[in-house]
Amino acid sequence: MTSYISEAQLQDRLAHKQLVENQDHMTAQYKDDLIRILTVSADTELVSAPAYYNAARKAPSINAMISALAIIQDEMGHAHIAYRLLEDLGVNKEEMIYRRAARQFKYPYAFDVPLESWEELVVANAFYDRAGITLLGDVYRSTTYGPWKRALLKVDKEETFHLRHGEIWMRRIVEEPGGRERLQRCVDWMFLLTVEWFGLPDDKKKHAGQLDYGLKGSSNDTLRQTWMKTALPLCEELELNVPARWDEATQKYIVTCPFPASFDSKNKRWELEKGATTWDEVMKRWKARGPMNDYYVERIQRGYKAMAGA
Amino acid sequence: MSVVDLGLIYGVAQENERVNIKITFTAMGCPAMEMILDDIRARLMQEPGVRDVQFEIVWDPPWNKARLSANGRELLKMWGIAV
Repeated sequence: MTSYISEAQLQDRLAHKQLVENQDHMTAQYKDDLIRILTVSADTELVSAPAYYNAARKAPSINAMISALAIIQDEMGHAHIAYRLLEDLGVNKEEMIYRRAARQFKYPYAFDVPLESWEELVVANAFYDRAGITLLGDVYRSTTYGPWKRALLKVDKEETFHLRHGEIWMRRIVEEPGGRERLQRCVDWMFLLTVEWFGLPDDKKKHAGQLDYGLKGSSNDTLRQTWMKTALPLCEELELNVPARWDEATQKYIVTCPFPASFDSKNKRWELEKGATTWDEVMKRWKARGPMNDYYVERIQRGYKAMAGA
Repeated sequence: MSVVDLGLIYGVAQENERVNIKITFTAMGCPAMEMILDDIRARLMQEPGVRDVQFEIVWDPPWNKARLSANGRELLKMWGIAV
């Protein structure tokens, strides 16, 4: 039976810049918040394995396939780290990975849309892994939970490699005949999906607790800006059109198309002609999950279920 | 961490404006091979008098952890990688 410390004791600890190392240093709320944020991270890393593998099969050469497999292996390692941390907090890891229903996984909606070509994989590296670095980099700098902070050093370096892989390949593909057009088609659906990934805008967000406990450092909007700060220059360099630009007046990156918007996941296109939708509608779309949710989770759970005789 | 600390560089020789590098990798399936070669080339081309960089990839003697410099070893440990 865990004995939690009081809120005042925890705040005192944090005020003295001491890290939380184990459950003896937590309040029940801190632990809940931590489990929530770790679950999102663990599920995201884990699902990127089947998601990236789907596209890796279209690798144009053996060396390219080797790079993709190395990236997938890294992601599974990252998932292992996060699930291990959850296990140390009393969460049943086997239950989480192998017995949860597909809809209960908490990875971002973006991963539910299939990656079906080598171009889509490398743009995913350039956009999604960049989002990963943005989020985890923020956690690394600000998290008050010691075990996660230390684990993230290695994770961050590996994600940087993934990002570089994406950028190098995009630069290479843009030089090929028809390459820029193929990349543009990927960017057309993947850019906004990644912008959306950072979640509700600050004025609509409920989970203030994560910021108060220092589990997370920056708000959703700040992280979104950080992501855009390097994603936009890359797209500009490669002459790829994106619905975003730097706005001098507000000194921020802004989205230049209706946003949030409806997404047709079957055809992988944004229904911008319908105009902007609401974040409530977006959350409904996220909650309903996308086309690959069932398949990816089934893929992950297949071996376990087969061995259990299910 | 540099590739020198990692122990990948087996030889460096300059012949007029060309630099010849003898290099190995930690594994034959190294996914970062091209990136590493690109980085080395880009850096060396910044040196005055270097106009060309040629690589000879060798697999003998095979790389192992003993080839890490003391600094390399420390850096890996700091990043949580067992050596």
